Amino acid sequence: MKLRLSTILTAFILLASAAAVAQQAAAPSLKLPAYKKIKLKNGMTIMLVERHTVPLIGFNALLKAGSVADAPGKEGTASITASMLRKGTKKRTADQFAQELDFIGGQFSAGATADSTSLSSQFVKKDINQGLDLFADALLNPSFPAEEFTKLQKQRLDGLKSAKDQAQAVIGNYFNAFLFAGHPYSRPTEGDEKSVAGITRDDVTKFYQTYYTPGNMILTVAGDFSTPEMEKLLTEKFQAWPAKTSPAVTVPVPTPFTGKKLLLVDKPDSTQTYYRIGNVGIARTNPDRVYLQVVNTLFGGRFTSMINTELRIKTGLTYGAGSSFDRRRQPGPFFISTYTKNASTTEAIDKTLEVLKQLHEKGVTEEQLKSAKAYIKGQFPPSVETGSQLAGLLTELEFYGLDEREINDLYARIDAMTLADAQRVIKQYYPMDNLVLVLIGKKAEIGEAVKKYATKMETLEITDPGFGASIPAASGAK
Amino acid sequence: MKTHNVRRCVGLILCSCVLMLSATAQNFDVKTHTLKNGMKVLVQEDHTIPNVALYIFYRIGSRNERPGTTGISHFFEHMMFNGAKKYGPGEFDRTMEAAGGSNNAYTSRDVTVYQDWFPRSALDLIFDLEADRIENLGFDPKIIASERGVVASERRSSVDASNFGILFEQLYATAFSAHPYQWPVVGWMVDIDNWTMDDLKHHFEMGYSPSNATMVVVGDITAEEIFQRAEKTLEPIPSHAPPPKITTAEPAQVGERRVTVSKFAQLPIVMMAWHVPEAASPDFYALNLLETILLDGQSSRLYQRVVDKDQLAIGIGGGFGATLDPTLFTITAQPKAGIEPQKVENAVYEELERARKSAVSDAELEKARNIVLANFYRQMSTINGRANTLGTYEVFFGDYHKLFTAVDNYNKVTKEDLQRVAQKYFADKNRTVATLVPEKEEAPKQ
Repeated sequence: MKLRLSTILTAFILLASAAAVAQQAAAPSLKLPAYKKIKLKNGMTIMLVERHTVPLIGFNALLKAGSVADAPGKEGTASITASMLRKGTKKRTADQFAQELDFIGGQFSAGATADSTSLSSQFVKKDINQGLDLFADALLNPSFPAEEFTKLQKQRLDGLKSAKDQAQAVIGNYFNAFLFAGHPYSRPTEGDEKSVAGITRDDVTKFYQTYYTPGNMILTVAGDFSTPEMEKLLTEKFQAWPAKTSPAVTVPVPTPFTGKKLLLVDKPDSTQTYYRIGNVGIARTNPDRVYLQVVNTLFGGRFTSMINTELRIKTGLTYGAGSSFDRRRQPGPFFISTYTKNASTTEAIDKTLEVLKQLHEKGVTEEQLKSAKAYIKGQFPPSVETGSQLAGLLTELEFYGLDEREINDLYARIDAMTLADAQRVIKQYYPMDNLVLVLIGKKAEIGEAVKKYATKMETLEITDPGFGASIPAASGAK
Repeated sequence: MKTHNVRRCVGLILCSCVLMLSATAQNFDVKTHTLKNGMKVLVQEDHTIPNVALYIFYRIGSRNERPGTTGISHFFEHMMFNGAKKYGPGEFDRTMEAAGGSNNAYTSRDVTVYQDWFPRSALDLIFDLEADRIENLGFDPKIIASERGVVASERRSSVDASNFGILFEQLYATAFSAHPYQWPVVGWMVDIDNWTMDDLKHHFEMGYSPSNATMVVVGDITAEEIFQRAEKTLEPIPSHAPPPKITTAEPAQVGERRVTVSKFAQLPIVMMAWHVPEAASPDFYALNLLETILLDGQSSRLYQRVVDKDQLAIGIGGGFGATLDPTLFTITAQPKAGIEPQKVENAVYEELERARKSAVSDAELEKARNIVLANFYRQMSTINGRANTLGTYEVFFGDYHKLFTAVDNYNKVTKEDLQRVAQKYFADKNRTVATLVPEKEEAPKQ
């Protein structure tokens, strides 16, 4: 399969629409289906939404602690804890869990992001009792067998080597480390070679005991069931989980970088340079989020975006280019991302900076605004088509303190946006002079040429452990 | 990074569809209509969301190419977005996005597939856009030059910048010596640089007759309104001869083949491949169930042995897809640091030998059927998944109705069938192995 859009670009589009808000061009509005929200006595939040298209039931649980809660120097703990949940419980060995899950064609995955840990599962309707038992067993009863921990830790260490063999798999880690230097968002969710090697089974057990509490848990179940029956099943399963206080995970507000700074990671076999350019973006709950979704659709969020038009459609410099706001509890990264052959590295970066400048100088037109609004509304419904999608969306909204209005009012909020709103958010949120640049490429061929983008160029070898956390912060003030 | 589920989706999706039909037949009402120019249209109504997924499958892919123009099917796929008569350069995407629609396309060894996803309000526009580019595609030399750069970048991303991509290309180039499946879909870089305007025009004439295409529409529409629009906009487009039949068949392999890629890397990769038959073969179903038992999930035989018990690799994956001609069943593993790829190979061969020597258990066969059924439901849960599945069945199995007869074919598969196909295809002489050997190329120090 040779997709016309790069996977990266596609990911931007998904991010832009799925994480955001909804509506539909032709339909007057798109409403979320009715759902029921309950709170168990132990503090656990549960939401239920029926979807009867196919005989499947999806589970989506979110724990209000992610890699930001990792102890310093132990980056990767939240992520490894999530992966260990199915690797042995009080009732089942890891093998038994795998055999039972696969036998009913079920799916189970668990992983961490900076802000939270997510568990998701899906089962065929007829197997719901066994499916729920497996899901709850992993969540409530993990035993973290030492042998399984060691096995996973070794896999993770080699997984880091494997990831560094592919620039696209790690450029986000380097970019976040360089941009957020010193802030918790600088830390790699999966950890690095040193931190993963230092994590012990005790660290994992402690993370579980500290943060996996009912009060920290939001569970949404969506699919082919009747709400009263499912409510009964879930209450029986989870109400005995003892309530427990858990330290709140706090994240300081990150400070945008002032000036320009540049990191080149040398990967000597590169025929293309991969790069990200950006600064600190916005939080999930930023009041201007809908306006920015519209503007970023035009700037770097779809095939005909300004960035992709300049770097792909008009010049053929790359297979795909885009931009994204990674919206988190606190402002996450904003970045433009693309790649081009070694010889055209500065041509592409120059053009990227030029498009950003044009956005500031010329803004967007009424016609562009209309197009982006129609596009977002036309593309939103397929992101809330299945039970699993609905479960993920409702859980996410609840975690960020949002609710169904985020979807049900979206149409109106987009329609109410004016050209003046667009011009304002461009000035306010898109960086222009203050930029962090991270490149992975062949230093021998591009090193000299790219030095011009900052007063100092930091360099790393791709084989150096970590992602550059040790580079001194604040080296690029004007 | 886990690799153990990569590359198997196509085969799995296909076999899954097969099983489920009995369960969902009542709400799986497909209406068909063949236009006078030979284009067949399949429609399934679904009003869950106010959107539509429209696929057009052209029966042309890299198997229809020749040395010197490899990758031209894929390049042509790109050119289909670059301007026609009514909608000039850039207008196809600009107009569609402004109406709330998006699009994509993919090319494989067998087919080129165009995908539109849009709100139902854009229905008329989409037909207008599709008809324009099928009938009156433009060939602007400047755009062709620019698009060569795009495709070259795509190749650098999927091959140069991916050790899996480099090795996979060499695996196919080694396993096939006669059949056109030997070259990569994206094309060799030298061919991307060298094909001509005449090559492009010839490709269009060869592959893009309406009679060589199947359209599938699923979503918030009625069959009548689709058929009406197809008759109005697509039926007037004249048909011509389809691509010439591919007569080259790959001769039976008569001994193991091995290839090595040595390059800068931190971890090695090993890929193993065996020639297996095309989708229309009666062995397709048994092989798919065997694939599930070997590779699907953490309870699968190869994950259990190679990743979990022996701890030789960080991931293992593979399988085979539905193809028009005999293809490869591949198994890919990334050995852990310090583990010789040969050790991984040996463990895989021992597991395959076990499948050849004795039948799988009843529970394993039942598990494989359950997985296939659950995956089918997942595929059917979106209008997009249904459009792709219906089209794939129509093209690769010759008739979407094969979904129905396939149910019987699946249920007929026995443990003995699995053992028979393991013996038939997982033979040493039928095997090709590609290994990526890391080199410590020293980066220049500052």
